[in-house]
Amino acid sequence: MLQYVLRRVVVAVPMLLGAMSIVFFAMRILPGDPCVAMMGDQATTEALADCTKNLGLHRPLAVQYVDYIWRSVQFDFGNSLRQGYPVSEYIARMFPHTLVLVMSSAVVAALIGIPIGIVSALKRRSPLIDYPLRIIALLGLSMPVFWLGILLLIVFSLHLDIFPLIGGGDLDGVIHMLKNGEAFTSPGDFLAAVGDVLYHLALPAIALGFTLAATVSRLSRSAMLEVISQDYIRTARAKGQAERAVVYKHAFRNMMVPLLTIIGLFVAVALTGTVLTETVFTRPGLGKMLVDAIGARDYPLAQGAITVFTMTIILVNLIVDLLYAVVDPRITYR
Amino acid sequence: MAISRRAESIDLGVSLGEEAARRSRSGQLRRWLPIGIGIVMAVAMVVLAAAAPLIAPLSPSAQYADAVLKGPGAVERHLLGTDEFGRDILSRIIWGARVSLQVGLASVFWGFLVGVPLGILAGTRGGAIETAIMRCADMLMAFPTLLLALIIVTALGGTLANEIMAIGIALTPNFVRLARSLALTIREQDYIMAARALGGGQLRVMARHVFPNALYALVVVATLYIATAIRTEASLSFLGLGIPPPTPSWGNILSEGRQYIKCCPWITTFSGLAIMLAVLAFNLVGDALRDLLDPRLRGE
Repeated sequence: MLQYVLRRVVVAVPMLLGAMSIVFFAMRILPGDPCVAMMGDQATTEALADCTKNLGLHRPLAVQYVDYIWRSVQFDFGNSLRQGYPVSEYIARMFPHTLVLVMSSAVVAALIGIPIGIVSALKRRSPLIDYPLRIIALLGLSMPVFWLGILLLIVFSLHLDIFPLIGGGDLDGVIHMLKNGEAFTSPGDFLAAVGDVLYHLALPAIALGFTLAATVSRLSRSAMLEVISQDYIRTARAKGQAERAVVYKHAFRNMMVPLLTIIGLFVAVALTGTVLTETVFTRPGLGKMLVDAIGARDYPLAQGAITVFTMTIILVNLIVDLLYAVVDPRITYR
Repeated sequence: MAISRRAESIDLGVSLGEEAARRSRSGQLRRWLPIGIGIVMAVAMVVLAAAAPLIAPLSPSAQYADAVLKGPGAVERHLLGTDEFGRDILSRIIWGARVSLQVGLASVFWGFLVGVPLGILAGTRGGAIETAIMRCADMLMAFPTLLLALIIVTALGGTLANEIMAIGIALTPNFVRLARSLALTIREQDYIMAARALGGGQLRVMARHVFPNALYALVVVATLYIATAIRTEASLSFLGLGIPPPTPSWGNILSEGRQYIKCCPWITTFSGLAIMLAVLAFNLVGDALRDLLDPRLRGE
């Protein structure tokens, strides 16, 4: 087991380094001098030279590369060109917003996707049930999240005025209250703050969750189809167990194991989805930060955001691999 | 379950033979209906894109000062309304199909052209070459398609060629992986051994025997990636990183219409609908082809 864990970690490290290298070199061939972008066209040659020196851009590319890798593993991505303060601080402030969005959309996706997948698999011979469910899944898969987001905004924010049009609620306040214990001393204020965050989160989570539900339902369907063809399901049925018990006690539990592997895929898709969702709903978060940073040519900030995105995806995949081996004892630790 | 169904059929006086025939007919319909709908939609999109100058009622860039932000049908000549510059939304959407389809097809072609030979080489040769190719593919796979395309387009600039290249590169590792896994199975077949025994060189075996046998599955998956490419292009344009305005693309029409969702929701509604229908068309064709032709890929 330990050997398996070590092997997976050893494989993840070069992958991470490679991905970070891609980010570094892509950012280095960006058109335009970052110093010109930061100081404007009117900057003097001396000022630009100073800026280049301060940012370390005068050094050989190889030195810059090693420096970037070394700093990145310590979560030091330099200072934002526009805002001036450390990128890691900015990321630390934005990450919770994105994390909350990914988690809540995962809940929405699971609540919609898993039941649809199970029913679609169990009723695959009833076209009246299977067909509409598969069409819903296909629509979810084909519907761009930014379009669904806009439609939700038009209906629920502009016309019905139920949900807010922009913003993410005071998540920083909630985190602060949790840290200093205010959450327990004044639970009323804390619950109000949490409610406000959820109020701002509802539409983005539904938009992202619905588009992700399509993937979840398809994978649940195929996982369920595989499980119900197993011998132990036939045995359960043969011994006279009710169909409901067969599905919930035997099939559902075993179906969750292969479903676990998709969490890695899910996180990758969800994180990409946050870039679009946060932009549509004008919500703070890593995704919107990345888009804004690219627009402002603030490349330390963009580089930091992409690196954190990639690190998260690789890390989640690693954890899922390890978890999979723990959950399913049949996996050989090759 | 089977017993009750049989009893039901006997009760209803329907013979088992008739029921089997009915089932077979409904099975055929289930198989062919989605592919039919998908093909009709995809062909309609191709026709729309190819014949845009003939089909579009107006020029996509013509500005009508008398019809700024008019709703669908408010002015007779603008069936789907106009945008903030008085441009005809229907014409812009028809012309936008060109960008989506060009990017969709060309980027998948790119991914196929680069990824498949590398994947077949990795799967057939094995050893250090396989390790090197697969590690590079894994590295690229660490990025979701949109994120990788976004990085490349940001670095190179948002032009049609760059968008095609960016999405093509982002799709390449998927083709590498699939082609490798197919090559791994094919290389164990007897006919490959026979080809080798007859003195066929490595390149000949790969080109004449492995590739044609993998082609089937690869084309099926390529159809699904056209849908991914169209969605990615729309996303890049929506984020303002794709083809810059005034050239119409569905993503940038939608992005521009965002500022006017309160007064003029038709701009975002129709452009988004176009994206969804195009993605749906290729998803339907790809899905149906996969189920129909290659049951091995159902779990992909």
